[in-house]
Amino acid sequence: MSDTDTTPTISTAVEGSISDTDRAASASDRDVIESRGLDVHYGDVQALQDVDLAIPERRVTAIIGPSGCGKSTYLRCINRMNDLVEAATIEGELLFDGTDVYGEDVDPVALRRRIGMVFQHPNPFPKSIYDNVAYGLRVQNRKVTDERVRTALERAALWEEVNDQLETSALDLSGGQQQRLCIARAIAVDPDVLLMDEPASALDPIATSKIEDLIEELAEDYTVVIVTHNMQQAARISDRTAVFLTGGELVEYDDTQTIFENPAHDRVEDYITGKFG
Amino acid sequence: MPREEYQQALADLRGDVRGLGETTLDQLDDGLAAQATGDEDLARAVIEGDAAVNDRYLELESDCIDLLALQQPVASDLRFVAASFKILTDIERVADLATNLGRYALTAERDRFETVEVELIGEMAREQVADALAAYRESDSEAARRVVTRDDDLDALCQRASEGVVRDLIGREAGADGWAAERVMDDVSRLLLTVRDLERVGDHAVNIAARTVYMVEGDPELLH
Repeated sequence: MSDTDTTPTISTAVEGSISDTDRAASASDRDVIESRGLDVHYGDVQALQDVDLAIPERRVTAIIGPSGCGKSTYLRCINRMNDLVEAATIEGELLFDGTDVYGEDVDPVALRRRIGMVFQHPNPFPKSIYDNVAYGLRVQNRKVTDERVRTALERAALWEEVNDQLETSALDLSGGQQQRLCIARAIAVDPDVLLMDEPASALDPIATSKIEDLIEELAEDYTVVIVTHNMQQAARISDRTAVFLTGGELVEYDDTQTIFENPAHDRVEDYITGKFG
Repeated sequence: MPREEYQQALADLRGDVRGLGETTLDQLDDGLAAQATGDEDLARAVIEGDAAVNDRYLELESDCIDLLALQQPVASDLRFVAASFKILTDIERVADLATNLGRYALTAERDRFETVEVELIGEMAREQVADALAAYRESDSEAARRVVTRDDDLDALCQRASEGVVRDLIGREAGADGWAAERVMDDVSRLLLTVRDLERVGDHAVNIAARTVYMVEGDPELLH
């Protein structure tokens, strides 16, 4: 555990990372993230309104909704990325593994080790493929080994394509490969949760399908929360879907099949069938 | 409203299914009338009319596939397209059974089994189809549930009629005029087939009604 990590409640499990066996042993339907009455304001503007949401472990949970509905805000609350936004005020509870992530003794850096994030546009560093994956390990004081780099690239379904060019620049990769490299970088430090904000919206259909396949595989080991504008993508890959509508209100949250076949709320029905507006 | 082309395609499909349903009900009416009156021209018209129903059925099935592939409907729209896709098949099958009635009418020698209530059975089956199609058209799941419930009455009537025909046949076998049974065998087969077909018409009405309930309420229970 690093010296800066002073919280006993959110363990970063640095060298003794959770093994596959441990993960399998702890497999359950338990909720790993839970918000209760979560309100977020950016200055005077309310971005999230009293959101109660429980996200199950090692499942894919999709968050959908129109622009400005607060779905990315919610995602960024989970690993305290909104801390970086000065005007943001957050009220209510957001629990990760039963601990309030906004508790006074929680170190956001330690939190982000367990809750990784992948962004809309692939953002590899201008370094080699190898160093991009190794970077995450280095900044978290974890030993860089070829084996760890390889495992992360394999889990991100990229190893087969890059194993003979690990020292070439990551910027030479295609957009889809760069995004998978970013996923490899995120999972190299063995987080529990992967947050993905529109991870395939900048990619072509073939690269998108590879990312979607990968997300389904990743959910065997990680809890995945994905924000997407693409409703068919949410339908294809997620187990649970949360629908946020204007004003930062979580209107409906259910099994993905129920949301897309028989939603309970007319507003959700209108949104997903395109009858809004 | 956004996605106007899509909304129009959904509305068109609803109208087209309704149109094919009405054509099929006409076919069924004519098939039943041909049976009741022995009108051979009417019977032939029913038989010949089936090709048009089949062609239209294939066109509308293709429209459903286009909607699924190109518009990716979800929620109530998805249930509507999925239900319509299946209801179209049931409508086409009802038209096939109406064609059977026309064929039986061409070869029937009537009045040998006056006790069999074929016309009543036909009327009930026809009403079931009409009510199921109306429930679909109006998205009325309560009316659709009533169709499902009433099917037991039609089944009971069909069973009673079939048993009556068989009992009559056995009576002829046992009677003094033993060869009489042999002479009426064709009529017996035709009557039993008619009753069976009308029972099936009722079953297709139940399918249409059950898919309407799914379409409206999202409840697939009646489909099982």
